[in-house]
Amino acid sequence: MVAQSADLAQPLLKNLQLVVPMTEVPCVHQWMVLANITHIGDPPGFCQLVDFPLDLITWTLTWPKFWNLLLGFALDLREEKQLEVTLEALISQVADLKNSLVSFIYKLENEYDRLTWPSVLDSFALLSGQLNTLNKVLKHEKTPLLRNQVIIPLVLSPDRDEEIMRQTEGRVPVFSHEVVPDHLRTKPDPEVEEQEKQLITDAARISPDVAQKQIQSLNKMCSNLLEKISKEERESESGGLRQNKQTFNPTDTNALVAAVAFGKGLSNRRPPGSGGPVQSGQPGTGPIIAGASGMQQVQISGAPTPQQPMLAGVQMSQASQPGKMPSGIKTNIKSASMHPYQR
Amino acid sequence: MEAPPVTMMPVTGGTINMMEYLLQGSVLDQSLESLLHRLRGLCDNMEPETFLDHEMVFLLKGQQASPFVLRARRSMDKTGMPWHLRYLGQPEIGDKNRHALVRNCVDIATSENLTDFLVEMGFRMDHEFVAKGHVFRKGIMKIVVYKIFRILMPGNTESIEPLSLSYLVELSVVAPAGQDMVSDDMRNFAEQLKPLVHLEKIDPKRLM
Repeated sequence: MVAQSADLAQPLLKNLQLVVPMTEVPCVHQWMVLANITHIGDPPGFCQLVDFPLDLITWTLTWPKFWNLLLGFALDLREEKQLEVTLEALISQVADLKNSLVSFIYKLENEYDRLTWPSVLDSFALLSGQLNTLNKVLKHEKTPLLRNQVIIPLVLSPDRDEEIMRQTEGRVPVFSHEVVPDHLRTKPDPEVEEQEKQLITDAARISPDVAQKQIQSLNKMCSNLLEKISKEERESESGGLRQNKQTFNPTDTNALVAAVAFGKGLSNRRPPGSGGPVQSGQPGTGPIIAGASGMQQVQISGAPTPQQPMLAGVQMSQASQPGKMPSGIKTNIKSASMHPYQR
Repeated sequence: MEAPPVTMMPVTGGTINMMEYLLQGSVLDQSLESLLHRLRGLCDNMEPETFLDHEMVFLLKGQQASPFVLRARRSMDKTGMPWHLRYLGQPEIGDKNRHALVRNCVDIATSENLTDFLVEMGFRMDHEFVAKGHVFRKGIMKIVVYKIFRILMPGNTESIEPLSLSYLVELSVVAPAGQDMVSDDMRNFAEQLKPLVHLEKIDPKRLM
């Protein structure tokens, strides 16, 4: 029947070979068996992996026994399949992690002169995310208990092993007694284990009251420390601010706003009645000059012309001095007319 | 609100009544770079844009107490750009719920004989200055950081001197009247420029 004991509590070997009496299994039941294996949730065709030399008769087997066997076999296969899937996921996660680490190390080694803090943080965030994913895979409910899997070194050799060299990317050249304890280690050093045990027994000896007190004092210390750190932080921040405080000057703000709003401080430089220099003419300054000098001319000529009735009227009503005026007075009018707007 | 001495009906009657929401502040020359750096980070990703403008402010005095003001602006560093004529209304400070100064505004692109035209209409130039600086945009918000230069000889934009050791910073949005929500966005943006620059609504009347 089987190469192993029929006891279902015992795990079955992978290369278990089923040898079933053909006569005992009617055609209909054969199909039932196969259908049940595939029904468990494995991909179609999975049952083909199982080698059923159904025509060989080496053992006699009653139908219920055979059924139980097959079911246990299928369950075992499913577990194995899950282990495989999990291992694949773990390997791909670890590969991702490794790639990120490699690129981060590369960055640190080759771009340290132009590396910015945000980009370092990005790298850290990536690594932490990948570690989280790895943990999730490990804690997934479908992940079989990996601690139940045992790895035994079958062959130790002091010779160079090209295959291992390739798989470890040149990190482990030999699979010898020297490296195996480190690479296949699943527990801490015996010394560390001893210390841990010591600590646990120490902890168990303390009475709850004492423990409570110790917790309280530790919490107090921590909060004190935190407060000190945050205080220091705040001070250095405000110190930094004080240092950089002169980024703007409210007086300047006001001066600039007043300048754009109503030209405060802009026209002061212009000497009163400075029509002269403008009229003397600057060639090549274009229409602005023409406009400006035109305006000055209006001011100075003073006499109301039919072309500028509005402005002349304004000037007259404000000055209430119709008729002839010496040009000096007119200058005053000009500044007087500017004044109310400027103030 | 000032009433224009000449008929300006088409401006407010037919077209949409646009308002400019404004916050102002300044930054010292030595901190300009850090401000520009921050603005480059905060604003829309675009080519750094600078400008060099010559602005002339024209007045028309009527019977009313306050004169009518128009601003003519031209680019000095880019050729072929139209002149820019701008009317700005009296700023309203508003209450605490509105976080920006609001004023009526009318913007028109004109040909280069604008000054002649204004003078012919009876306007006269009150003052002029040169503005040189940087423009940033974030959505509908516009941020300008510029230095104001006094013009030493009227009309000669070659001989200029800076008005102060600071750059003026203006955050503005032009939107149809009543869209006070935009001022919330502006306030949020201004918060992000602190403590480098404090953008506030500054009542110019207070500074007269």
